[in-house]
Amino acid sequence: MTVYLPAGWSPAKAAGKWKVGFSQCTTLEPWRVQFNKDIQAEAKNQPDVDLVITDGQDKTEKQVADCENLIVQQVNVLLISPKESAGLTGVVEKAIDAKIPVIVLDRNVDTKRITQFIGGDNVAIGKAAGEYAVKLLGGPGKAAGNVVEIWGGMGTQPAHDRHDGFHAFTDKEPGIKNLLNNQSGDWKQDKAYNIMTTALRNNEKIDLVYGHNDPMAYGAYLAAKDAGRDKDIKFILGIDGLPNEGVTWVSKGQLTATFLYATPGAEGLRQAVKLLKGEKLQPVITLPTMLITKDNASDILKKNGLL
Amino acid sequence: MRLARLLSRTKLYWGLLIICLIGTLTSPHTSSGNNIFLSYANLTDVLRQVSITGLVATGMTMVILLGGIDLSVGSTMGFATVICAMLLTKPGWTSASAMGVPAAVLTCGVAVALAARFIFMGLARGSDASAGRRREITLSSWRSVGIPGLLGLITAIAVAWWTAGQVPVKFGVLGVLLVAPCLALVLGAINGLLIVTGRMQPFIVTLAMMVSALGIARLTAGQDNAVVPVYTGTNATEAFELLRSMLWGVLPVPSVFFLAAIILFGAILRFTTFGRYAYAIGGNVEAAKLSGIKVAQVQLTAYLLSGLLAGIAGVLFVAQYRQGKPDAGAGLELDAIAAVVIGGTSLMGGRGGLAGTFVGVLIFGLLSDILQLQNIDSNVQLLMKGLIIVCTVLVQEQNLGQLFSRWRFSRSREAGADTKTAESHRLPSATKVQFAREDLDEAS
Repeated sequence: MTVYLPAGWSPAKAAGKWKVGFSQCTTLEPWRVQFNKDIQAEAKNQPDVDLVITDGQDKTEKQVADCENLIVQQVNVLLISPKESAGLTGVVEKAIDAKIPVIVLDRNVDTKRITQFIGGDNVAIGKAAGEYAVKLLGGPGKAAGNVVEIWGGMGTQPAHDRHDGFHAFTDKEPGIKNLLNNQSGDWKQDKAYNIMTTALRNNEKIDLVYGHNDPMAYGAYLAAKDAGRDKDIKFILGIDGLPNEGVTWVSKGQLTATFLYATPGAEGLRQAVKLLKGEKLQPVITLPTMLITKDNASDILKKNGLL
Repeated sequence: MRLARLLSRTKLYWGLLIICLIGTLTSPHTSSGNNIFLSYANLTDVLRQVSITGLVATGMTMVILLGGIDLSVGSTMGFATVICAMLLTKPGWTSASAMGVPAAVLTCGVAVALAARFIFMGLARGSDASAGRRREITLSSWRSVGIPGLLGLITAIAVAWWTAGQVPVKFGVLGVLLVAPCLALVLGAINGLLIVTGRMQPFIVTLAMMVSALGIARLTAGQDNAVVPVYTGTNATEAFELLRSMLWGVLPVPSVFFLAAIILFGAILRFTTFGRYAYAIGGNVEAAKLSGIKVAQVQLTAYLLSGLLAGIAGVLFVAQYRQGKPDAGAGLELDAIAAVVIGGTSLMGGRGGLAGTFVGVLIFGLLSDILQLQNIDSNVQLLMKGLIIVCTVLVQEQNLGQLFSRWRFSRSREAGADTKTAESHRLPSATKVQFAREDLDEAS
């Protein structure tokens, strides 16, 4: 696989600084907010980069307009984290036609002409969660227990990947019983709370809760706490590992563990600078995950100035 | 025939009963053989879950009765959750919230409302005067409001200045309870003012507010806060926990707010002049104006209350889910409208009421609960909710009496006419309006 660069592209510095455009799809989710914080923090380390961030406000058409705007501004590199692939592919091609290399973050687009893709691997994270869940429930071959899984948005790829990865491990265990059938909390704490309330009502024994993100896992924890059953349900797993959310809850012992889904913000900007300095990039970078438990939670909080 | 009429009159309650029956029959059982759906815990859970939508739907009912619509309630609620969460968690906000701010906002609100009330009597002059005469804004009418209003404002600011930070944080909860709804009420008042004075379409005004309230909420939360988390532990939040608890172990507190709102505003709609006016305006604005009803005042009040109820819903949201977030109420306006419409309130206005909305909210909530107990796929749940909306409204609008009589009697037309008149029972004192309407029809 070769790295695609628009023909005739040369990294030209305008007024002593490179102009990097970043089109974010929304800032209505904490993970996206952290994403922006990461890329802004990295931009402070790069004195010769002028970073422009736009917010697509969770609408495809707004994000397309944002990108068109960045193309008109003639940014040197376009970073984009698309809301969805189909709707944003056109404008990405338009940027490439305008001789702007594009680095795609987190969710991909349907074209081979992009310069680089950086993102986490949701299947791998789901697998890590599944492996850990099996360990918590008694280890491979003898794991047993009732599992509640709360999905993110049913129509989103990350939710399906996190589901598939998890089940790659738990489905091998005959002792593990899945209590819910595709219940979507839509990534939200309040919806997960209500799903969990009913699940608690329906089932006298719940051993493990797996939320596709931390707010939903926390919502489930709150529901269990309000029902006076938070002590019975020992293991609540989430994904995302944001310092001021999941990691905080894990360090307080409210969630058993969470799995880091690192934002590609900082890495994205570093790669863009590498490209501008004329270095070679690899076509795909997969960000690794990390298990966060009570043991390492406080270290992460300290590192982020939250403890 | 009488049976058909009775059936038609009470069809909504039958719907509720049928839903309950389905729930009971299909419900899973606990290992000790108890029916989960019918369990006290489950039913109170449903009541708690519908309370937030229910409060918003209560306000929405009044707005829709007047022939309007309020699309801004979701954003208004989101805004209230952010304000509430900030008051509970941000150090500066917390001390300010201890009585000072609420005193100010509350009194300001009263002062502004008082002033607005009298200003509107003047502004809506031609239409207000019972004899159709123009009424000018006179000096005395200004003096009678302007001065008390101004005095109220000055007192409010003075009280706020003096009390800010002087009251223990423990009482800050009281502040939170007042500030967030008061600010939401102000948003509602802006809606109402624009609609009444600007003579703009409610749809447009509240659409604009829906967008801008989200913006205000996000600005308040700060650029990099998608969520304002409320952790337990501080004084204020411990007292705040009461809002999530069960009242004397019987009723969840959020549902107490909902039930109180339904009863209070239901009584207002049924027994007061305000209520009569509301139905009259919804039935026919022109006739209402001609009969000397202060249309502007009534409309303004409805939007104001809608905002206030959304604000209270916001506080309850924070108490329940321990977080404030700008988009907390995304899509809530549609849920509320659906509940109102299922409850038999016509989107054209003038017909319906809060009893219907209460049942509509319950039908929606119980349906969700049944689907959830059945563990049905989330996407299928959405589809089924859509179907229920369509079916209920179909049954509401198509006269059930007519449907029955078509099968059984040859005198179907008569039966239809019979039930048509029976519909007027929904208008408590509708005679006046009906006359006005008939007069108009004759004139035109």
